[in-house]
Amino acid sequence: MVMSFFRRPEESGLENIEAQVQRMVNDARHTFDLALSAVTGGAVETVANEIRTTDRQINATEIEIRRALVVHASVHGGIDTPEVLTFMNMIKDIERIGDYNKNIFDLAEEGVSFTESPELESIISIRDEVSSRISLMGEILSLRDEDRARIYIERGDKLRRDFDQRVTDLVHSTEAAVTAVPRALLFRFLKRVTAHSSNVVSAVIMPVDQLDYFDESEDTRS
Amino acid sequence: MKTAGSAFSKKISTKWEIPTLLRALFVIVLLYLFLTGVELLGGGFKNLGKDLVDGLFEGVSNPVGGLFVGLLATVLVQSSSVSTSVIVGLVAAGVVNTGDAVPMIMGANLGTTVTNTLASLGHVRHDVEFKRAFAAATVHDLFNILAVIVFLPIELITGYLSSTASWLTDTLIGSSGSDFKSPLKQAVKLPAKWVKELLSSMGSQGDIKGVLMIVIGLLFIFVSLAFITKNMRLLVADRVETAINHALGAGSGIVAMLLGAIITISVQSSSITTSVLVPLAASGVLTLGNIYPITLGANVGTTVTALLASLATGSPAAVTVAIVHTLFNISGIIVFYPFQKLRQIPINLANRLSDIAVEHRSLALSYTLIAFVIVPLLGVLILR
Repeated sequence: MVMSFFRRPEESGLENIEAQVQRMVNDARHTFDLALSAVTGGAVETVANEIRTTDRQINATEIEIRRALVVHASVHGGIDTPEVLTFMNMIKDIERIGDYNKNIFDLAEEGVSFTESPELESIISIRDEVSSRISLMGEILSLRDEDRARIYIERGDKLRRDFDQRVTDLVHSTEAAVTAVPRALLFRFLKRVTAHSSNVVSAVIMPVDQLDYFDESEDTRS
Repeated sequence: MKTAGSAFSKKISTKWEIPTLLRALFVIVLLYLFLTGVELLGGGFKNLGKDLVDGLFEGVSNPVGGLFVGLLATVLVQSSSVSTSVIVGLVAAGVVNTGDAVPMIMGANLGTTVTNTLASLGHVRHDVEFKRAFAAATVHDLFNILAVIVFLPIELITGYLSSTASWLTDTLIGSSGSDFKSPLKQAVKLPAKWVKELLSSMGSQGDIKGVLMIVIGLLFIFVSLAFITKNMRLLVADRVETAINHALGAGSGIVAMLLGAIITISVQSSSITTSVLVPLAASGVLTLGNIYPITLGANVGTTVTALLASLATGSPAAVTVAIVHTLFNISGIIVFYPFQKLRQIPINLANRLSDIAVEHRSLALSYTLIAFVIVPLLGVLILR
């Protein structure tokens, strides 16, 4: 450990932190896939342990990254403050994705399954898209691709509007609560996952003071 | 969506960065300038008249006076590396003897902790953060104060530090009675000679020449160390960051101590090492228990500068004084680290002091002023 001081570090502090962020993204995608498989016909008991363990891993990684960011800021001074603050914001969003994935899995543990639902095909299609968006989020971040970030956020806006509409329709429907409420919750959680993933990607194009500020109405965005 | 400069956008830097190799070479040049400064300082004092020199340093023959002189000088220059190098230069010039230099060295050790104490005051607006930060800073002060309380009387009665250091000097470089052939001294003789000849050619001689040599020597020491510290910090920042991240996971006090020493030797400043720890403590990332051994290591690491300076003087007495500095800190660690009950003394005192500081914020500032300025200043004036 002492000798490590004399070895040239393979990565800079922020590069190391970014690698940890990518691990968080991979874990978040994994828990999303497990949670959605549980509510669309997959076995619930077999994935329960893995979801909880991976969620704890996401939380532990967040703590590690926060610690590393404080060390980085203390050693290097204020020079990387915007990036440090952006990472702090970002890992909070990724951790929230993990939380919402667990919320989705909680539905499965309560006995909710959408296998008989008329919307099953739609839910599976949404599942596939949101899952690949989580992965794409990590890719756009690592490439710092501003054009793809804009396209990503625009598509995220459309998805969120769609989820909002579905929830609104269910609120006003005459469907039985036992079928309507789980779907409303699912779309609500999917909306939050989509919003948080857009928040993460916004770091590529938005300054620190305006991060996340498209969770509100699009009219408030400059 | 308008882009207004994302922190993550691909950065195209227009500022020219000094290549690492060039920066490292620059540090070597600065080190050479530093050693030349020490040589000039010693030479300057040798040029001064005896009465003048005796008058300047009459206060330091009193050990408490010497302690306060060392403390005050370090607080003024904000660097124990500068002040201990100057003390080494004075000993090499025969201006101050080893016995008088030891309390000055101890005082320099005390004075260097003012920087991180000031850094902790930056957290004064938030109770929990301030408590942690102030404790982290003052544990360094308190360790040094306790070490002085234990070892200054021991040194005055037994000469333990100076005689051990003298024995080590004899063992490492030969007879302590005469100058030794130092390759570093040979290397800095020439530039120092150029400065002396330049001053002579400008008509200065005697005391005036001596004073000018001292001023130039101090300037060289101060400026070179400032730039060495700045450049080394940039050169080793990533390694320091990695080392601290590893130390967080390590848990071992000895590893933390070694890392504290190595980081300090690399950046040539214990103040930088300990000041970096303050925000880490304030945020709760490091506990006081984690910080304490790193601080002790930094205390030892900072003695390398004076050791280097002493080797450039060719004076065994100067080397002895530099070794006293290292020995003093190591002895403090031997007393106040291995045994749990003794280890807890500075930690508990720091916690208690920070509890009081949180309740009475003005006391924190008063403590800093009183401990680092008022008391040593009064001490120097009264004991002269």
